[in-house]
Amino acid sequence: MAGAYRRRPFPLPKGKAALASDLASRTEEPQAPRVFRPTTKSPLGPVKIASAASAVAPLLALLAILAILIHQALPAIKFNGVGFFIHNVWHPGNFYLQPQTTNGVLHPAQAEYGAWAIIAGTVLSSLIALVIALPASLGAALVVSKLLGPRVRNALGVFLELLAGIPSVVFGLWGTLTIGPLLSRDVYPIFAKHMPDVIILRWFRGSTGAGEGLLTSGIILAAMIIPIIASTSRDLFAQVPKLTEEGAEALGMTRMEVTTKVTLPWVSAGIIGATVLGLARALGETMAVAMVSGSVLGTLPTNIYATFNTIAATIVTTLDSALIDGTGLAVRTLAEAALALMVVTLLANVGARLLVRKVSTTALPVGRGV
Amino acid sequence: MARNAEALTRIGVRTRRRKAASGAAISLGVIALALVIVPSVWIVAQVAFKALPHMSWSVITTPGVGLGGGLQNEIVGTLLITFGVAVVAGFIGVMSGIYLSQFAHGRAASVLRGASEVLAGIPSIVVGYVGYISLVVAFHWGFSLGAGLITLSVMVVPYIAKTTEVSLRQVPSSYVEGAEALGLRPGQILRTISLRSALPGIVTGLIVALAISVGETAPLLYTAGYSQNLPHLSLTHSPLGYLTYAVWTFYNEPSAHAVQLSFDAAFLLIVLVLALITASRIVVAMASRHRESA
Amino acid sequence: MAPKRPLLAAGLMGVAGLAASACGSSSSATSTSQTTATTAAPATTQANAAPNYAATETPPTANVALQETGSTLLYPLFNLWAPDYHTQYSNISITTAGTGSGTGIADASSGTVDIGASDAYLSPTQTSQTPTLINIPLAISAQEIVVHIPGVTQQLNLTGLVISDIYQGKIKYWDDPAIKALNSGVNLPHLAIAPLHRSDSSGDTFLFTQYLSKSDPNGWGSANGPQFGTTVAFPAVSTALAEAGNGGMVTGCGQTAGCIAYVGVSYASQASKAGLTLAAISNQAGKFVVPTAAGIQAEAKNFISQVPANEAISLIYGPGDTSYPIINFEYAIVNTKQSDPNKAQAIKAFLTWAIDPAHGNATSYLSQVNFQPLPTSVASLSLAQIAKIGS
Repeated sequence: MAGAYRRRPFPLPKGKAALASDLASRTEEPQAPRVFRPTTKSPLGPVKIASAASAVAPLLALLAILAILIHQALPAIKFNGVGFFIHNVWHPGNFYLQPQTTNGVLHPAQAEYGAWAIIAGTVLSSLIALVIALPASLGAALVVSKLLGPRVRNALGVFLELLAGIPSVVFGLWGTLTIGPLLSRDVYPIFAKHMPDVIILRWFRGSTGAGEGLLTSGIILAAMIIPIIASTSRDLFAQVPKLTEEGAEALGMTRMEVTTKVTLPWVSAGIIGATVLGLARALGETMAVAMVSGSVLGTLPTNIYATFNTIAATIVTTLDSALIDGTGLAVRTLAEAALALMVVTLLANVGARLLVRKVSTTALPVGRGV
Repeated sequence: MARNAEALTRIGVRTRRRKAASGAAISLGVIALALVIVPSVWIVAQVAFKALPHMSWSVITTPGVGLGGGLQNEIVGTLLITFGVAVVAGFIGVMSGIYLSQFAHGRAASVLRGASEVLAGIPSIVVGYVGYISLVVAFHWGFSLGAGLITLSVMVVPYIAKTTEVSLRQVPSSYVEGAEALGLRPGQILRTISLRSALPGIVTGLIVALAISVGETAPLLYTAGYSQNLPHLSLTHSPLGYLTYAVWTFYNEPSAHAVQLSFDAAFLLIVLVLALITASRIVVAMASRHRESA
Repeated sequence: MAPKRPLLAAGLMGVAGLAASACGSSSSATSTSQTTATTAAPATTQANAAPNYAATETPPTANVALQETGSTLLYPLFNLWAPDYHTQYSNISITTAGTGSGTGIADASSGTVDIGASDAYLSPTQTSQTPTLINIPLAISAQEIVVHIPGVTQQLNLTGLVISDIYQGKIKYWDDPAIKALNSGVNLPHLAIAPLHRSDSSGDTFLFTQYLSKSDPNGWGSANGPQFGTTVAFPAVSTALAEAGNGGMVTGCGQTAGCIAYVGVSYASQASKAGLTLAAISNQAGKFVVPTAAGIQAEAKNFISQVPANEAISLIYGPGDTSYPIINFEYAIVNTKQSDPNKAQAIKAFLTWAIDPAHGNATSYLSQVNFQPLPTSVASLSLAQIAKIGS
């Protein structure tokens, strides 16, 4: 791994006050000073053992989470079959009838699960978030790093940290009581009225609802993933060598041309990585969506304002209810949904990090992008 | 001559068009910047505006009673959980960072580091679900402080591990070499030289992790449960309240007082998070001033 | 049928339409010997004896903290009871939480709380999984149907059939001929109906969907219909909205013009404050009624003599011109096997206090949430169940 640090082509600018986020997202030191060289016979057994145990803990936690989810979900996978991912029905069954056994799995009579609606809801809301957050993050990061000085760059850092630090439930509170009603009263009707009846845009027509729904959730999610994409982009742009950009400008390129032809291509892999990471976070976001989605189950949204649900929000709002299914199928079905969500976010995270580690120099932020 | 002039005008037109496009792009960029800044300011202002006019000491000093009362139990609960996370995740995270920066190498290091980073990307409700199934149900801990803070620690260890590792790597190699030349043992060097000069970075990571744990809800709902009593200091069978729970349950109640409590809790959360962010910035600023003067 | 599934049969006694649809779909059910552990024979022995509250009403002297969670319908009453009980017995503290009946049952079953509150009685699956779990009626409650139609202040008449069609998306607008026919003289607007249901597992959903199943046996209650339960697959309606808890239903309906919602009577005053108007609904006799004390008691009379010893019984859709069709027992769900003797004694004492007409079942408490007290015969059955709690 140490090799990755050496692969960096250009020295990073060392600001006077390295940001906290910079600390978190960069691995700067060219020569990591190991106190304990690999060859040194360590006299520090206990420290080494304790620290090794701690370092293995996250990996163990990851494996344990996977194992527990798979163990929980297996009967549900057996009962629900492949149809779980393509059917749209959410019926825990009638608990007041005698439970039955299908495929060796005990389940309430008439129970039937298909997660298509919540899968679609998860993907759609995250895509809306990405469509808003990606341009906003890139634009903001570009303006800050290319037009404004390091002082402003620092100031943007404050807002990004604040945005990343605001609790998810507070986003939800704002979404459900402030921005949702406001948009559905003053903005959505304008879209609904003027959008032409053509492909995709047709989705903006129709009933605009009371503020809880797909578009409102997408907007809230966008605000939540902006810190991840924007902070990474800002760090990436700072790395593009000045000489190259100035050379391009000297050749007569306008600022925009420098940006699109030099700066962006230089950092594209890193931005793709950050975008995938942001997408993964949007897919898994729970509380805020649970508060602004409308929480309906088994219903596909008919337009972009319609109420819907996501996998994560369904788990948090129905886990307690699922517990009254004496056969345990409802809880296990939620494990199956959680497993699907986990696998997707896992792949996104691993993929993004591998991609970025291969071709770029800036490490991706951890978690929420703080 | 004429042809030249024509060519020049053509170039001129194109340049103007290119300049205009560039200008338009810049204004789009400024709009983008506003999109990033406005929500954060709006949310903070909105919550403060709703909470402050009714904020009083009684909110902080009385526990909740049904949909009424104050937030004392939630405040104490949040502080208690955060303290627990600081101890548990702080220890594991810092030790993990020490291992990754000092001992680990090659593929194993890469896998451990990667696993830690990926862990921080797992949806919080998935971690919460597993915490519920394993700690609360299978281990019979019940809704409890222990289950809550372990679940939460799993989520924030990666942040602390990462900053610790990075900070330790940033310790100038000259320090370490100098210490080695003076004949200090590796343990002494780690303690007196490396960890000391990496301390600001480590503390910053810890603070960020605490800011995140203060604001989490999904991992706690099914592990820490909820109680309107003041938390009692027991790791198992000790459900307790926390501020995010108050936001989540009270906002939708048809009672003005309950909605008020929801905003009060949101306000306290934002104050806590802002205080932690400010603290981390002060640590960084102080450390860099110290470095300059040294 | 009955010997095989005693609990179910007892629970549905006197409600032929529902029992028929319920039995029809699972005639091949496997026999469950465990369910017989909770006796379900109609209990007549204790029914006539005067309730002896004093026997179990003394709490322990040790400090005990009890935890209650569950039904949001029962939540306001628990919030009245808990502080007063603590004032009377300072060593006993009770925390309450309104999380939905599903959580109440599940958490009492898993032992994460001491008392679960539920609007619905236990299902055979639950009692076979945890045979020591019992449901104890604490009071009689009812559910009201409310609507939010700006500009319409008159009380609407709605039949169970019309409500069923609304929740199935067959009736989409308030000026639908089917609604107009029931409400001559009311100027109904062409406004989309937004049917609200509960997102959490809820006793209110259980009651409401039972009412729909019985009023619309060929649609809602048919083998292919949504039927009834604490969580049902509500038909997909694009304007539908789901809310958590009775509080969420009231707030959500208040914010959504055109909405119709089912709300427990303990939220009646909040509902009217939120601008929602009460609808009169049809009972078995075809009369339109609202949940008055007399209407609730008339409905309860239909079933009191049939309450089995385990007290699991549906009180929905009984005969009688004045009977209000959606009423129920509010249950405390308790595990009779407690690990801590002091806790066991505290639970017994508190529940006895709660059903004692001199204390918890006094009108001063119940009238605040529009509940009705337990009839004496039912109180005796509840006491007999409370006596089973031990360590």
